[in-house]
Amino acid sequence: MTDEPQGPADTRRPAFGAGRVLIVVYGVFAIAATARAGYQLIAKGGEAPLAYGLSAFSAVVYVVATVALAHNGRRLRVVGWVTVLFELVGVLTVGVLSLTHPEMFAADSVWSGFGQGYGYIPLVLPFLGLAWLWWSSPRRLSQVRS
Amino acid sequence: MDLVTGGGYAAMAACGLLALWAGIWALRDRAVILKQLIAGGVVLVLLLVQAVGAIIELAGGRELAEPPVFWGYVIVAVLLLPAAAVVAIAERTRWSSVTLVVIALAVLVMELRILQLWSMGQGAA
Repeated sequence: MTDEPQGPADTRRPAFGAGRVLIVVYGVFAIAATARAGYQLIAKGGEAPLAYGLSAFSAVVYVVATVALAHNGRRLRVVGWVTVLFELVGVLTVGVLSLTHPEMFAADSVWSGFGQGYGYIPLVLPFLGLAWLWWSSPRRLSQVRS
Repeated sequence: MDLVTGGGYAAMAACGLLALWAGIWALRDRAVILKQLIAGGVVLVLLLVQAVGAIIELAGGRELAEPPVFWGYVIVAVLLLPAAAVVAIAERTRWSSVTLVVIALAVLVMELRILQLWSMGQGAA
């Protein structure tokens, strides 16, 4: 007969598993987007303020999303939902607009052509982020366990 | 071949081998081991040697096509492997190996861009 420990005996943080890879990819992309957009905005911001300003703003949102996903706390999970959804809406909106109104986004922004200039990573990441947020939800996990 | 190009090729080869090694580890359901972190440290040393080589060459009057972009790539490439090490310590599952694969391949691709930018400067000079 084995005695299962009752109650919160194990206080170690659980392994994130596959989510950890997602967080790292988010982080790398956030740094890359911030560096590129920051450089574009400073070096040639006057040429296309909308495209480069949008890129810089979305880069900051990617950084916040990375922090929120990595922290995984109750409040920051809400921030995670908001920022990842914002990225999804952004990439879809700007992706469609850059096809129907190409003159609005003459210069490449991070979301132009559904993230074409960034290997479509901006299009894929929000879906993975939402999937991870749903999968790792404490409410869902506790229901699955019980 | 200068220190930047040579160091770059060496770093790319080492990154490829490290990605392969970590990939085998991920398939075998094993977490990153210390030897792999040491190998990552070797790649990091190669990257730093490359950066020092670039500083020496530039001080010697070499032209660089887009200095901010070049140094942006160099700095981010240097920061990536320590991030993989943090994950390797925090996440003792196969997913730390997957992370190491992703990071090693990312450094490899960035190294390609670094060498591209470096040779562009040579053409302009």
